[in-house]
Amino acid sequence: MNSYLELQSVRKRFGNAAVLNGVHLDVAEGELVTLLGPSGCGKSTLLRCIAGLAVLDGGRIVLQGRDLGGLAPRERQVGMVFQSFALFPNLTAGENVEYGLRMRGESKRGRRRRAEELLALVDLEDKRDVYPHHLSGGQQQRIALARSLAVQPKLLLLDEPLSALDAQIRKNLRSEIRSIQQRLNMTTLFVTHDQEEALTMSDRVCIMNKGVIVQEGTPEQIYMTPRTEFAARFMGSYNVMTRPEALRLFGSLEGSSDSYALRPESVKLIGMEEDPSGHAGRGKRIVDGTVDSVSVLGTIVRYSIEAAGVKLTIDALNDGRLIGIGERRNVRLALDCSQLLQLEKEGA
Amino acid sequence: MTERNQAGWGHRTLQSLLLLYLLLPLAATAVYAFAGDWQDTVLPKQWTLEWFESLFQDTRFLEALWNSLYLCSISVALSLAVMIPAVFVLTVYAPRLESLMKGIVVLPYAVPGVVAAVGLIRTYSGGPIDIAGTAYLLVGAYFVAILPYMYQGIRNSLLTVSAPELMQAAGLLGAGPVRAFLTVVLPNIVPGILVSTLLSFSVLFGEFVLTNMLVGAHLQTVQVYLSRRMGESGHLASAIAISYFAFILILSMVLMKLGQTKGRRVRG
Repeated sequence: MNSYLELQSVRKRFGNAAVLNGVHLDVAEGELVTLLGPSGCGKSTLLRCIAGLAVLDGGRIVLQGRDLGGLAPRERQVGMVFQSFALFPNLTAGENVEYGLRMRGESKRGRRRRAEELLALVDLEDKRDVYPHHLSGGQQQRIALARSLAVQPKLLLLDEPLSALDAQIRKNLRSEIRSIQQRLNMTTLFVTHDQEEALTMSDRVCIMNKGVIVQEGTPEQIYMTPRTEFAARFMGSYNVMTRPEALRLFGSLEGSSDSYALRPESVKLIGMEEDPSGHAGRGKRIVDGTVDSVSVLGTIVRYSIEAAGVKLTIDALNDGRLIGIGERRNVRLALDCSQLLQLEKEGA
Repeated sequence: MTERNQAGWGHRTLQSLLLLYLLLPLAATAVYAFAGDWQDTVLPKQWTLEWFESLFQDTRFLEALWNSLYLCSISVALSLAVMIPAVFVLTVYAPRLESLMKGIVVLPYAVPGVVAAVGLIRTYSGGPIDIAGTAYLLVGAYFVAILPYMYQGIRNSLLTVSAPELMQAAGLLGAGPVRAFLTVVLPNIVPGILVSTLLSFSVLFGEFVLTNMLVGAHLQTVQVYLSRRMGESGHLASAIAISYFAFILILSMVLMKLGQTKGRRVRG
């Protein structure tokens, strides 16, 4: 792959704690790559190293063939959006967007025209003369996005830009950011701890843990085939089982892995009065279980079920078919052996 | 609703009592400053401007007032010029040194004025820097005396506006450190700095021990003048105190007003 951005064994320590343990990553032009991981996994530090806000202890960062090592943030041609917006409170929305152009010494007219374009891009043309204090969180973040795009950076870094916003605004802004990014073909690194955000927005997702990228792939690959226990647990409500537990449920197992994962929606629930024969077949298995709890999550109903001494989380579509299944009821589970994933050891 | 009213009354009573406690001595002083004949009545029998007249006709008073004003102004200006960049650099680039700084800036509280004054006089009379008894020494001492107010005020303003993040954002947009500081940090901390300035000013204007011991013999400031003439007549001393108070009040109001207009512009 001809990389647009290359990270080569990037290392960073804070005192005795190693925060980045040799990160490798290649990003193609126009790609949106998400760094996904729990807090403290080093994802934000990596972003700050790329921006030049933190100094590398080892490794190289190359953007469009140019080594960024030793360059000040302002020489890197990298734009960044912060979780806290970091808008300049003494400047209006329009002046904020113009700021980078003003620093470059562009003419007032040119600045003004560009700011208007960008305000239109984020759909806030009417807020040009408004100060940040009078804007909502979502509007402030859109201004921050416009501000970082105004200087036409080669790379856009988004550091948890949606974390400080309410759920509904977050969802809207997420698709807006994605559509702007695609329209401008802007190479973007997006940092988040929210797996749904990562899956819906990215071309590629990198799961980070303890200062390294543990798995990368398209959102579909990452979701359908987590490689390690960490990735499986982090990607949602995967059922992670030990080998003996998996053996009890499935009878026999492929491979010799120590742990296995099962997607919560891959298990079918069958009411006791239903005929289970329709679910039987090659590689299928029916086991009995007891419902521990039921919670309705909108379009999905999440069951916590104990079967063969294993606690399982099972998601089913909220279509009314399973309405009779409540707590302490017995149910049958239709398991599909092909859905059981073998997990690698951590760090393997 | 009634509960809230009751609570409101409670608060109001408490507030009024507090105000009374604070303003009563001032009111009494003011009455005394304007009193002519006042022997066995609740309020004076006669009112007069005599004390103020004699005060304002005394060139020494005007001179003392002027001395105080310019000494305080120079000290505060010097402190601002040194402390704003220093605290900025510390807060943004070396936050680890902050715990050390916090310790240093409370030292002026820990050393009693008399001890500081004696120490300063001994150190600076003779030796390479022989400035005992001069205004230079006083300005230096004032600088130290207002260090805590300046440090805390500037630091808090910087943290309130998240100066480190503003600097990073401006840096990524192409601004050098000096330009970023001048365009996006300084305008946002001006209201906070004005408050620190005001506070420092009133502290210095009321400071007596250092002033009297360091320059009392050579330089007449309002504080020193007040203490000298206190014995002459109670009425006169009251008139001095009231003029002094009025002066600080006007100064504070001017500074506050400046702070408000500046603050409004920042907040839009």
